[in-house]
Amino acid sequence: MASGTRGDLGNVLVIGGNGFLGHHIVNQALSSWNSKSVASIDLRCTHNVNEKAAYHECDITDVAKLTELLQTIKPDVVIHTASPMASGEGKTAHELFRKVNVGGTKAVIEACQKSGVKALVYTSSASVISDNETDLLNADEDYPVIRGAQQKEYYSETKAAAEELVIKTNRQEPSKLLTTSIRPAGIFGEGDAQTLAGFLRAYKNGKSNVQLGDNTNIFDFTYVGNVAHAHLLAARLLLATAASSIIPLSYERVDGEVFFITNDSPVYFWDFARAVWRAAGNDKGTEGVWQISQGWSIVLGSLSETFFGIIGKPPTFTKLRAVISTMTRYYNINKAKRVLRYEPLWTLQEGVDRGVGWFLEQDKKDSKAQ
Amino acid sequence: MGALYYLLHPGQLRSMIQWKLWHDPVHRRDPATECATLSECFRYLNMTSRSFSAVIQELNHELLVPITLFYLVLRGLDTIEDDMTIPLDVKVPMLRQFHVTMEQDGWQYHDSKEKDAELLEHFDVVITELKKLKKTYYEIIKDMTIKMGNGMADYAQNTEMIENGVQTVKEYELYCHYVAGLVGEGLTRLFVASELANPKLAERPALTESMGQFLQKTNIIRDIHEDWGDRRRWYPKEIWSKHVDKWEDMFDPKYRPQAVNCVSEMVLDALKHVEDCLFYMAGMRDQSAFNFVAIPQGMAIATLELCFRNPAVLESHIKITKGDACQIMLESTQNLQVLCEVFRKYARRIQKKNDPRDPNFLAISVQCAKIEQFIETLFPKQDPKKLTKEAEEKQRQEPSMSTGETAILIAVVLGVLLTMTGVMIGIAWFFGARFDGTFADTAKLWSSAGGTPPVLDRDEL
Repeated sequence: MASGTRGDLGNVLVIGGNGFLGHHIVNQALSSWNSKSVASIDLRCTHNVNEKAAYHECDITDVAKLTELLQTIKPDVVIHTASPMASGEGKTAHELFRKVNVGGTKAVIEACQKSGVKALVYTSSASVISDNETDLLNADEDYPVIRGAQQKEYYSETKAAAEELVIKTNRQEPSKLLTTSIRPAGIFGEGDAQTLAGFLRAYKNGKSNVQLGDNTNIFDFTYVGNVAHAHLLAARLLLATAASSIIPLSYERVDGEVFFITNDSPVYFWDFARAVWRAAGNDKGTEGVWQISQGWSIVLGSLSETFFGIIGKPPTFTKLRAVISTMTRYYNINKAKRVLRYEPLWTLQEGVDRGVGWFLEQDKKDSKAQ
Repeated sequence: MGALYYLLHPGQLRSMIQWKLWHDPVHRRDPATECATLSECFRYLNMTSRSFSAVIQELNHELLVPITLFYLVLRGLDTIEDDMTIPLDVKVPMLRQFHVTMEQDGWQYHDSKEKDAELLEHFDVVITELKKLKKTYYEIIKDMTIKMGNGMADYAQNTEMIENGVQTVKEYELYCHYVAGLVGEGLTRLFVASELANPKLAERPALTESMGQFLQKTNIIRDIHEDWGDRRRWYPKEIWSKHVDKWEDMFDPKYRPQAVNCVSEMVLDALKHVEDCLFYMAGMRDQSAFNFVAIPQGMAIATLELCFRNPAVLESHIKITKGDACQIMLESTQNLQVLCEVFRKYARRIQKKNDPRDPNFLAISVQCAKIEQFIETLFPKQDPKKLTKEAEEKQRQEPSMSTGETAILIAVVLGVLLTMTGVMIGIAWFFGARFDGTFADTAKLWSSAGGTPPVLDRDEL
């Protein structure tokens, strides 16, 4: 079916294949790999459609329906990317996170085990080892996962809980299902409703001359195409392990393992923001930028949260945002490079150009529609 | 620079005084034990090298003489290569055969017009001393002389490059290889042979190559204006043609922003060697050898920072200040960790000067961050094992701290406080303290502090 050269993937199923990351995986599986078939399961299958892929609408928390679907699709590998947007606080958001991230993942595991799927690749998050307070310097897979009371982000807590379930499922007799978890950091790109959308909103609101902190904080942003690539590399290697009768040596093992994925391009947080604004047409330098110290930023974030809490509207600026944009958080991806043989296919600048280019296209379409 | 400058920049003066007072060389030359020919060699070293003579003379005695002679042989070759009065048909065989020439007792050359011609006029002293070297060291020097002499001869015959300048980045790096990479190769072999460096360095030639590339590229970037005056160009066309149409435009004030961006791209290209350089220097096992390699590297990163987004580099020959140079020498002669902080400091300065309108803005920022990341791998500030332990401890402690328990804790603290107060008042009373006036006094104090507003003031309203 597809004319790829990177390897055989058999029948691929992407859960959340109409989402931001998912549709990039669908596209790459079709264009760059040898896939017998590519299917997507999503809540709604109207967006990000590739005409070569098959689409099925299903709520993944519905185990019975999901299992039935998997038994008809018969995928060799399932890539589970479905997750609600990470932003959002309050009880309803938390319930949704738990329901989809933990409950949905449980259902996916069960459906996979019941329908003879060989490999499951789970999209976790690099934030599972962050308490959103402590800096992370060149962190790798040996860092502890932050759970429970230490984990101030409920989203990350549910991603970590789901990852734990996925990893425990690996080689869980009598099932032969092999599992792995990918932890991408700061995904951005075409169709991104968080990272780029946030930076571009700040630009349009004239906030590009404000800088929180002194901009010595290093951060990882990862182009979505590279994250998709890493998922497919992991899928391929799991299938290879499934086809082999021996368990690989620990240093080259993919099943039961977790992998951080970045662009291998750590960058100073506000420099990335400026590169995005530059791509969006900003022609200003850094002179006249208003710098707010890290301490003040966090105070302002808290005040804003309280204020919006009182007037009962969602806050435009929060303490978490102030913390994230002033903290150091970057990862060491040597394990993914060594075991998955992962190398980013797009540089950070290429990713920014593609991602922002997509947003500018959307704006053009929107203005035409009006 | 006048006294006024140092008055305004006391930090610079401080670094210079510190270096002069506190720098204690690990090794010193001992001129009393040197024979006449050897002291002549040192005289030529001091004469021909400004930047290297001091560090060479502080080297471990095992390598002091071999590296001095290696330097003089290279200087001899260089003098021949640079001398435009020697016709090509004489020059080329001289360069290619220099390894033979340097074995002929009493060889001298009197037809050079270069500034270092005196060295060639008395080259016999170098030859005499070369013959006294340990065979392993001598063979390394000879082997490098063959490679360098042939490399220089190839360039001298490469009229295409002389007329049109360097075209591609690959050619540019090949040029840097011949003028600096090979020197580095010779030095690494000498360090390894003398056991002053980790033998693994010999198996990683890419690291050595980066050391030379980084220094040579920095020189080329800084010397752009001087080379232009000499009608030479080492910036590869592959890079500058992205920013300006003609090389002359680089020096035309009309194209200043483009020219500055072009220098940025050259700096970015040089910065890609930094990680290798730091890794290489981790292989030094001797303090004097470390100092010898680290000082030029520290100077190079500072020079790159000076050239970065600085239009002055296009207008004149710029140099780091003496004070900064002394500061770098102080910090480059301790250990790798201190040197890494020098690199971090300058990487951050480059990042701070970086301009979002520069086409390589993001790539430069990433490269600076990658330098910091690499330093982190050499000297990690976080230990995952310790973090895991801490996280486990917290996990164990926190759930036990329910709100009920917090309330009990507060009650206990309050209870202790009240009991203590009671006991103290009791003791005071027991020993005869009277409390009946206390309340009245407190009431007075309260009213005078404004607790009850005086009625008088009303009139004034």
